[in-house]
Amino acid sequence: MSDFTTKELMACVMARDLEDGLGVPVGANLPVPRAAVLLAHLMHGPNMLVLLSWTRANLLDVPELRPFEFITDWRAAQWAESYWAHDDGFLNMKRRANWIFFVGGIQIDQYGNSNLIGVGSDYKRLKLRGPGGVGTGNMAAFTNRYYLYSQVHNPRVFVPKVDYISALGWGDGPGTRERWHLPGGGPRYCYTPLCVMDFDPDTKRMRLKSVHPGVTVGEVQSATGFELVIPDEVPETPLPTDEELEVLRTRVDPTGALRS
Amino acid sequence: MTTVNSTNRQVVVVDERSALSRLEDGMTVAIGGFANSGHPMSLVRELIRRRPKNLTVVGAATSGLEVDILIAAGCVKKVISPYVGGETVAGIGPCFRRAAERGEIDVWEIDEAMYYCALNAAAQCLPFLPWRGLVGTSFAEVNPDLKLFDDPIAGEPLIAVPAVSPDIALLHVSAVDAFGNVQHVGSGFGDRAIARASDYVIVSAERVISNEELRRAPDHTSIPLVHAVVRAPFGAHPFSSVGHYLEDIPFLRDYVAVAEEWRSHGDRTGLDHFLDSYIYAPQDHMDYLDQFSAGRLFGLHEF
Repeated sequence: MSDFTTKELMACVMARDLEDGLGVPVGANLPVPRAAVLLAHLMHGPNMLVLLSWTRANLLDVPELRPFEFITDWRAAQWAESYWAHDDGFLNMKRRANWIFFVGGIQIDQYGNSNLIGVGSDYKRLKLRGPGGVGTGNMAAFTNRYYLYSQVHNPRVFVPKVDYISALGWGDGPGTRERWHLPGGGPRYCYTPLCVMDFDPDTKRMRLKSVHPGVTVGEVQSATGFELVIPDEVPETPLPTDEELEVLRTRVDPTGALRS
Repeated sequence: MTTVNSTNRQVVVVDERSALSRLEDGMTVAIGGFANSGHPMSLVRELIRRRPKNLTVVGAATSGLEVDILIAAGCVKKVISPYVGGETVAGIGPCFRRAAERGEIDVWEIDEAMYYCALNAAAQCLPFLPWRGLVGTSFAEVNPDLKLFDDPIAGEPLIAVPAVSPDIALLHVSAVDAFGNVQHVGSGFGDRAIARASDYVIVSAERVISNEELRRAPDHTSIPLVHAVVRAPFGAHPFSSVGHYLEDIPFLRDYVAVAEEWRSHGDRTGLDHFLDSYIYAPQDHMDYLDQFSAGRLFGLHEF
């Protein structure tokens, strides 16, 4: 099974950072984060709280988790231990201290701030009106930590400074989150098809952590619209194991969404 | 001694036209459901047929293309929603995007947490509710109605989210009795919060059931005593209805194609044809459903 796609590699490396016991919301239209969460649950996370299609679900004994195209797909109810009304979810921010989340953006900047509002300096005449912040800003504020995720890695997405902040990362550097009294741990890693990035602990600027097989440090830098912090040694992203790929392909991604 | 009994109780079942007769230009109208599910489309279509202007539309916490269609039909002045799109069908609602970029609609920029603050404040008769999570973001800069303040108890920075009180709420549910007791299948998304906040709640339902049937499981009653009930099997089409049918994806893609043509090239021909065929021409919901074969509707998966 040494042959794998970049998406499968990403799902495996993302899954390894999710320890047992976390609360893990499962989205629908981001196949890679979905696969990462479910893989972590089935490989090493029997006590995770899995939130799927407005249920809290017990998936541990499900042989094959076929993906849904839409987040509201009610066929997930077959695994539900409870339902949760969306508005009720906001009555309990305390528990979010034990949750993680994946946050995307039409722009992501060097301090991990992300933008789903729009692109352009005049808010009343945006060049690109984004879909809106959804729940990302609140998750970024309260979760134990969160992960930035982008399906593309180019200078249009990775900009020095986002035009609007819909989810606050490290703000303008150290001290921002403390100044706002935000309880959550902030962005930990940023996953892209080229690499994994983390944040320099002193400056909170985005730093290259590992490059995926076949990708060079120079390629990552030239695909990024700001200067990355680049350590002297940049390792290759750890490869999927045969066991991970088997669980991924047989139980988490049986339709091969990550292989297309 | 004179007493009353169930026969004296007000039945609130009406047709969609009567239900929406109180609609006026400039009203604030909330629409339930979530993303590609549970939107009260037979009511939305009737609303559009009344050709209202300058509505403030409170979409679901994740609004789908029903808000986009309202914008396409020229009914909307302001959108209150944390997201307008169709997931994999359309990342951003095409007409929402066009109208916002051209300054033709106002967007009351919020995220999901602030959305429920605004509705809960209305329900609780408060001028605002505070929220901690969105400090440090751009929301309060682009939405001047949101006020950053230092809380008077602990002195911490918070955001005050003003109440949003819809004049009319439109919801689509699984079942409701003739007196307006609602039973969702599934979570009900944010429909309860919308109902609590709104002055007048209109519900369309897959089935209008007897009060006796409803009382077999009173713990399933999710919203008690709404103001008006409209019978609408397949009333969420082309969206899914939890427990009844899935999305009509080809129909949604057809809409996105004509909406995208307007957004990117300014050509409304296809969009106007779509609105004429599926909204203006049908007299009512049954007339709308007559355009689809039984095989297509019942092929939307029931289990």
